[in-house]
Amino acid sequence: MSAPEVHHLFHNPIADHSFSADRKTLAIARDTTVELYGKVGNAFKLKDELKGHDKTVTSIDIAPNSGRIVSCSQDRNAIVWEPTDQGYKPTLVLLRINRAATFVRWSPNETKFAVGSGDRLIAICYFEEENDWWVSKHLKKPIRSTITTVAWHPNSVLLAAGSTDAHARVFSSFIKGVDARPDPSAWGERLPFNTICGEYLNNSAGWVHSVAFSPSGDALAFAAHDSSITVVYPSAPEQPPRAVVTINTQLLPFMSLIWNGEAEIIAAGYDCEAFKFKGNEGGWQLSGTVEQKSRPGMGGDQREESALNMFKQMDLKGKVKDDTQLKTVHQNTITMIRPYQTNGDAVTKFSSSGVDGRIVVWTV
Amino acid sequence: MSIIQQHTQATLSDAWRTINIDALDPDSSVNFDVSSLSTPQPEISEADARQIAAQVRQLIRGGDPEGALRGALENPVYNGPELAKDTHLQTVIEVLQSIKASEMTPMLQRIYGTPGGPECLDVLMKYLYKGMASTSGSSHGGASSSARGTPTPRNMTPQATGFSQIGAGRPGAGGESTGGAMSVLLSWHEKVVDVAGLGCIGRVMTDFRRV
Repeated sequence: MSAPEVHHLFHNPIADHSFSADRKTLAIARDTTVELYGKVGNAFKLKDELKGHDKTVTSIDIAPNSGRIVSCSQDRNAIVWEPTDQGYKPTLVLLRINRAATFVRWSPNETKFAVGSGDRLIAICYFEEENDWWVSKHLKKPIRSTITTVAWHPNSVLLAAGSTDAHARVFSSFIKGVDARPDPSAWGERLPFNTICGEYLNNSAGWVHSVAFSPSGDALAFAAHDSSITVVYPSAPEQPPRAVVTINTQLLPFMSLIWNGEAEIIAAGYDCEAFKFKGNEGGWQLSGTVEQKSRPGMGGDQREESALNMFKQMDLKGKVKDDTQLKTVHQNTITMIRPYQTNGDAVTKFSSSGVDGRIVVWTV
Repeated sequence: MSIIQQHTQATLSDAWRTINIDALDPDSSVNFDVSSLSTPQPEISEADARQIAAQVRQLIRGGDPEGALRGALENPVYNGPELAKDTHLQTVIEVLQSIKASEMTPMLQRIYGTPGGPECLDVLMKYLYKGMASTSGSSHGGASSSARGTPTPRNMTPQATGFSQIGAGRPGAGGESTGGAMSVLLSWHEKVVDVAGLGCIGRVMTDFRRV
């Protein structure tokens, strides 16, 4: 297993990050701007700043094929940044929400994007050719609180969303004229807009921080603030799910999770490192950490302690050991993890961003 | 790209921010019973709580403290009158006090390893926090609620160290029994965190099922 690739960009929190398809451009949501970093050698250098939001940018996503960037912000707007020869051209998207936009993701076919918001709704946005603008349609019922996260099904019609009302839900975002009729699946057969294909709650009902469909789309995982991960296997439309497996962990809550194939989940959050879970319908368990903390030369605390050094530390800081550094690579909460390199359904590398201003690329 | 294009006197003052617009929205959580979002819990009356207490005491007397602890933790009172909740808290504290310090960790590890065990420790943690809240409440009670509001000379220490208020409620004022109960709860708290991790504390805070 090779060492992780660490890029310490600045000393501010990173709300969200996204790599372009060729992995040469990295977009970062920092304060009210979107910063674009270009790969120069082994490092990332700031190459462009996209200014247009006037409140904190909460989420960002680059469409892998078209290269379009979508960003959303607490100023209640979403902006689509179209790459042109003269740089990125912003287009404001009318979301019609009166609370902050919290989360945005392109659908896999890149014709739509979903914006979660504090207005208890999800705006599904698509491009209307004849008017030459982005319009939005709202998924409203039965959301009772802020949407914290959304995730697309591979068929670009089903959308999973997590909310602070402690539910993870699966909706249909079918838009006539934009989407082709999806194949029937365990989630549903006929899927008009705003069909609720599933609504799940874990035992202690913590806020949902992250949701993700498995690569096949036939299972849904969500992480909640009660330090748990729940995996749902649907059986048939309108039927109770085949299996709902919840793993309560001894750890702090997870902020983000991704699937690695159908039998592994990688999750990271307030413990500042990523954990692996393995399992299937019969049960899931924590199988270990991604990071190996006994790596040599990792930080000051593994340096040989000489007597001189010990007394120096006691004199300077009043203690023998310097314990101001965490043993993990990230020195603060991990806010987002995303697949970086995949091989079929398996994730071979993934990237993480944290409150400490670091972007790290991990080898699984 | 603010929606407000021209700043007028009305938009510059922030008086409008004090209007609670949620109250005007029929769909908002203010106008909506949040408890209907979660699954309802079975209701336990005071008589039921007393019956559980009797069974648990039977187990303690029979020399099965682990069974007693499990029995108490598998029947938490989530939905019931205040009196039932207090009765059950007393039951749990009684069991905890009956278990020797050297047996705590092995017993917790055994419970954690069994199916449904982690859930039990989450419930135990809830009762530990409730116990701490109520024992400190009763020891502070009358004496220091007046002391909090208007510090009387009796509670003033020469140096304002910030520890004076904590000191005032400690053994001298509270008496031996509450101090004793608190130390039992604190040592259990430490052991439960060792076994069930910090996630256990997080679950107590997020869980809608209150004991």
